[in-house]
Amino acid sequence: MNAVPRAQGLAAAQPAGTAAPPILDVRDVHKVFGGIRALNGLSIAIADGEIHCVLGPNGAGKSTFFKTLMGTDRPTSGTIHYRGSDITRLPAFRRARLGLSVKFQNIRAFSDLTVYQNLFVPLRRHHGVGEIPGRVAALLARIGLSGTETRLVKELSHGQQQWLAIAMAMASDPTVLLLDEPTAGMSVEETDKSAAIIRDLNAHGVTIVVIEHDMTFIRALAARTSVLHYGKLFAQGSFDEIAADADVRRIYLGSL
Amino acid sequence: MREPAKPFGRLLAPFNGQQTLGNSRFFWACWLIIVVALVLLPFIGTRYQVITASNFIISAILALSLCLIWGFCGILSLGQAAFYCIGGYAYGIVAMNLIERHGNTNVAILAGIAAPALFAAVVGALMFFSRLKGVYVAILMLVTSLLLGLFMRQTADPSYTMGAAYLGGMNGLSPATANDPQLPSIILGFGEAVAEFDGRGASFYWLVLGIGIAVYLALRWVVNSSFGYVLVAVREDPERAETFGYDVRLVQLGAFCLSAAIAGLAGTLYTAWGTYIHPDGFSVGANILVVIWVAVGGRKDLTAVIVATMVLSWLSIELATWGEISLLMLGFILVGAMLAAPEGAFIALGTGIGRLRARLRGVGRKAPAVYGVQELKP
Ligand SMILES: Nc1ncnc2c1ncn2[C@@H]1O[C@H](COP(=O)(O)OP(=O)(O)OP(=O)(O)O)[C@@H](O)[C@H]1O
Ligand SMILES: [Mg+2]
Repeated sequence: MNAVPRAQGLAAAQPAGTAAPPILDVRDVHKVFGGIRALNGLSIAIADGEIHCVLGPNGAGKSTFFKTLMGTDRPTSGTIHYRGSDITRLPAFRRARLGLSVKFQNIRAFSDLTVYQNLFVPLRRHHGVGEIPGRVAALLARIGLSGTETRLVKELSHGQQQWLAIAMAMASDPTVLLLDEPTAGMSVEETDKSAAIIRDLNAHGVTIVVIEHDMTFIRALAARTSVLHYGKLFAQGSFDEIAADADVRRIYLGSL
Repeated sequence: MREPAKPFGRLLAPFNGQQTLGNSRFFWACWLIIVVALVLLPFIGTRYQVITASNFIISAILALSLCLIWGFCGILSLGQAAFYCIGGYAYGIVAMNLIERHGNTNVAILAGIAAPALFAAVVGALMFFSRLKGVYVAILMLVTSLLLGLFMRQTADPSYTMGAAYLGGMNGLSPATANDPQLPSIILGFGEAVAEFDGRGASFYWLVLGIGIAVYLALRWVVNSSFGYVLVAVREDPERAETFGYDVRLVQLGAFCLSAAIAGLAGTLYTAWGTYIHPDGFSVGANILVVIWVAVGGRKDLTAVIVATMVLSWLSIELATWGEISLLMLGFILVGAMLAAPEGAFIALGTGIGRLRARLRGVGRKAPAVYGVQELKP
């Protein structure tokens, strides 16, 4: 695979050697906010069952990319396909029911609800009421928040809220999980733990797309990596290829 | 976290939770004392006090309906009085047409609840499915109410009759001809048997009190149920709720219709109480009054809203005897309350009591930030 396929069209975005169609296929997406071109002809394909990291300087359009995938933002032009069918016009709740799930960059948990109720909301759409207490307990054990069920979210620390947000995104048993800066504000041990959780979910068949600034974390995931720059795909390849690329270092990894 | 004492705890559990203030045994004991006092009111108070109290409770039911949609679903409607009046008119019109044939007002009561709910379904579908929000919903509902009021005002022409009912413009609903029945108060029919509740009597007061308690408990159950969590989620971040797979528009529409049905029930009771309904109920003043009750009490708590409605209604009557200065006084009290406790004076009071009790019993140094509750459920 070419380390820096200057991202022209679909072929460049297709992982080499994968015959299976991508689970998410973004084609020439533009998103304009007033005068700002947040996405400017982004084409990117996410393969079924992969972990995919997204890098880029601040303002590159990474979060906007996730919002157009999830459907909370509509692209100004371009199309998004999920398993071959066009979902560009589908509202967010329908995409959620198809199996997409997101953890936004800011936490966006429901602060007037308890931890239990916050997990209940996503769980209830996908599971019977009877299963929920068990699933909540399992999720909380996994993220190390057992015993906080009756706490209001606004009483939790920032780090705990971050973990809760990740658990809420996992709660619906998604097929595609979009994580926007999941480790922001986490300690080194916590970052390792979230990498382990991501790998474990992926081993159970979940396709995961992660936006991150933390290089150790991305290196640990050792996943296919895309670099966004000015709303376009700038480079794509394995993390090592990306890290070695001179152009990428110039725009983003210069400090590495 | 203390478990509530059994068996009362078990009994009260469905009504307790983080979305309501007052989940302790202490709260429910106070609540019971107040309910008993209210039940005994007709034996202690004057006839005038009983009639006034009926009206206050009806107002509280109306305020609860706005609390549900504004406080728990985040949709401020400045047209809540419209649902109240639609309910009132629907009850009156159906009651006058059917009272002689049926001998009761059962169908009329159902009409008073169903008509505003249906109206809300239509208006709500238009609003929510076009993703209208915030101030636009508030203003659209106010305009809707004013338009309905405008229409009802010009129905003085004798051609505006619906069977036995004559809409009557500014004079309010009245019989179409001298042979048609007057607008009846509530008459419940159970098969052959009937129970009459004269709007000016104690029996009507007890009926209204019972309905008020039922609505209060039902709403406590709703907001502390799983539907309640979803409502609060939609209030806090509708976009996030949608990304969990909820069709937010349907959730909002459901809450809006339920709210309209409750407002319609209140309007039905109001019409039956005075055997009278009039287009002034659609006015700006009537709509804003409901918002004031809810805002001053605290829109995020059902109990606070009821207490505020009662206290403010009582104050406005008390102050009215002072003459000219009363409106100014009321204005000062309202502004003062809003400045001192923007989230609601009675929520602040309830939280304060919760904190005080926690301190007195030495339960932790710090009580929960907003809700001073002891028995929480997950
Ligand atoms: N709702 C919006 N309205 C106006 N401009 C927006 C909006 N959302 C994003 N933008 C702009 O679009 C550009 C891309 O933003 P985006 O949040 O996608 O960047 P990002 O790559 O996630 O950056 P960061 O690493 O800082 O999170 C930025 O210039 C931002 O200011
Ligand atoms: Mg971002």
